[in-house]
Amino acid sequence: MINQRSFAQFLGWGIFVLIVGVVLPLGVRQYQVALLTEIIIFALFAVSYNLLLGYAGLLSFGHAMFFGVGAYTVAIVLNHISGLSFFGAVMISVMVTTVAGFAVGSLLLRHKGVPFALLTLAFNALFYAIATKWHSITGGDDGLSIRLPDINLGFAHLKTGDITVFYYITLLIIGSVILFCWYFTRTAMGQTVLLVRENEERMKFVGYNTNVSRLILFVFTGFLAGLAGSFYTLHYQFTSISAISIDMSTIVVLMVIIGGTGSFIGPILGACVYIYLQDFLSDITDRWPFIMGLIFIFMILYVPRGLSGLIDSFGERLRGRWHLRSSVEMEE
Amino acid sequence: MKAMQERKDILQVRDIHKDFSGLKVLTGVDFEVKENEKHAIIGPNGAGKTTLFNIISGKYKPSSGSIIFKGEDISGRSPHALTRMKICRSFQMTNVFKELNVFENVRAGVRCDHGLRYNFLKRPGSIPEVNEKTEEILALVGLADAGETPARELSYGQQRALEIAVTLSTEPELILLDEPTAGMTREETIEAIKMIDKVTANRTLVIIEHDMDVVFSLADTISVLHNGSILVSGRPEEIREDQRVKDAYLGEEAG
Ligand SMILES: Nc1ncnc2c1ncn2[C@@H]1O[C@H](COP(=O)(O)OP(=O)(O)OP(=O)(O)O)[C@@H](O)[C@H]1O
Ligand SMILES: [Mg+2]
Repeated sequence: MINQRSFAQFLGWGIFVLIVGVVLPLGVRQYQVALLTEIIIFALFAVSYNLLLGYAGLLSFGHAMFFGVGAYTVAIVLNHISGLSFFGAVMISVMVTTVAGFAVGSLLLRHKGVPFALLTLAFNALFYAIATKWHSITGGDDGLSIRLPDINLGFAHLKTGDITVFYYITLLIIGSVILFCWYFTRTAMGQTVLLVRENEERMKFVGYNTNVSRLILFVFTGFLAGLAGSFYTLHYQFTSISAISIDMSTIVVLMVIIGGTGSFIGPILGACVYIYLQDFLSDITDRWPFIMGLIFIFMILYVPRGLSGLIDSFGERLRGRWHLRSSVEMEE
Repeated sequence: MKAMQERKDILQVRDIHKDFSGLKVLTGVDFEVKENEKHAIIGPNGAGKTTLFNIISGKYKPSSGSIIFKGEDISGRSPHALTRMKICRSFQMTNVFKELNVFENVRAGVRCDHGLRYNFLKRPGSIPEVNEKTEEILALVGLADAGETPARELSYGQQRALEIAVTLSTEPELILLDEPTAGMTREETIEAIKMIDKVTANRTLVIIEHDMDVVFSLADTISVLHNGSILVSGRPEEIREDQRVKDAYLGEEAG
């Protein structure tokens, strides 16, 4: 069961992270700022994946199909519709992803467990095939570059090409969406998702159409992944076939497993660690995928609850020791 | 007595057959339940009582035959649709949300009716009426003080009470209780039946029950399920005197 932190605790954390998020880019190099942007984008991708895996108990091996549709749609519309604004492109992109999520979700509706996992994998492979073969639209193996439009708010003109400016845009938009995702887990729908996983049969007998609730969740997580994907393209001003590949689906699974599926914050930690680790290792050795692989195997075998589980049990131990000490004092 | 005869049928079970890959469990079940009646279904182990509930409540589709609720054919509809039509059933084996606390268990059904099923913006506790209704149901079944307790930590008797509370959470008009007192001691059974009698006032109850004393004291009508069909359906005193029932069932019980 998901660990439900108290509202105050979470708000505290939220404000802390926000302040850190605002202050952080001030003291670091541009390169680091770009890395932070990437982390925020992947944090949303991982959070959306964990809504499926951690909250609904649905194991998908194809979450990158939505990330990829988001990434490609932004690039395609920016290349084909002249004068399209930054937010216009993002809007179209998430709308297209939502439609894709609905189409795929309707076909997956009745499946759970292994058939669900295999079908998501198959759909991802299909989307990947379309992206490679439909060269005239997607650019095939060459990918697509874009010219990033600036944001004109009337009173202010934001140069999105500036790494720091883009960082703050990402922090504001993706950060708020992540915050909404947290709120979502507390809403009626969020609780419904948990209850369906807990006892689907009984949910039907108290009036819930569990297929519908699964579909709504699936579409929602697809929408979120699509938003992350569209920012991925905007950030790099380029999208490649890797955005929609099975590799990308594997990456999000790993992020969530490293971070831990048992809490909301886990996948965010997982995204941080994954991206920093990749950046760090690829700097020092060409064999970084090998080392990453070893680390993941170690994590899955010895830290099955992920980093957030590790932090929780560490916290519990600290608190336990404190309780122990205070109860000893009471006895004296 | 006269008033009772004039009551309308709320449920009509018509020639229900059910077989599981060749195993004929129900072979033409016919009976009707009147509005606000307390209707007991008895029958030996494996007679198909639970199967009958599974069909009325939409868990299984009948092989043939029809279920009429308030004049409308509802056979083969899904459980959630039937729940929203105000038919709700309990389970012979406690089937609740074990990891959730008692209050959340009951609120799940209550909020369903208040537009809080798939709501992305409102929290489940955001409508005071929903919380009040939940408290009310918990008080009815005697779990008012156990709201915060996780379901898995309840005593057996409390789990059975929660099973009923969850069934009541959707405000059913037709309540199907499958052996609500299964596994209880005599004393617990008597207490539980008192509670059931109270909470089902002004509603229609169909109950599967093994304890004959309980059945005869609670029910307005008793139907005996035997060999896949209803042997006889009638008032308790008729059933008590019925030779076929004595032979088929009560005899067994005594012997
Ligand atoms: N899903 C199923 N698949 C196959 N056989 C089933 C299924 N459900 C019930 N049966 C069979 O149908 C018969 C009747 O079962 P049912 O549970 O309806 O009996 P019951 O009258 O409720 O018995 P009890 O008093 O023990 O609860 C049994 O032989 C059982 O094995
Ligand atoms: Mg039974």
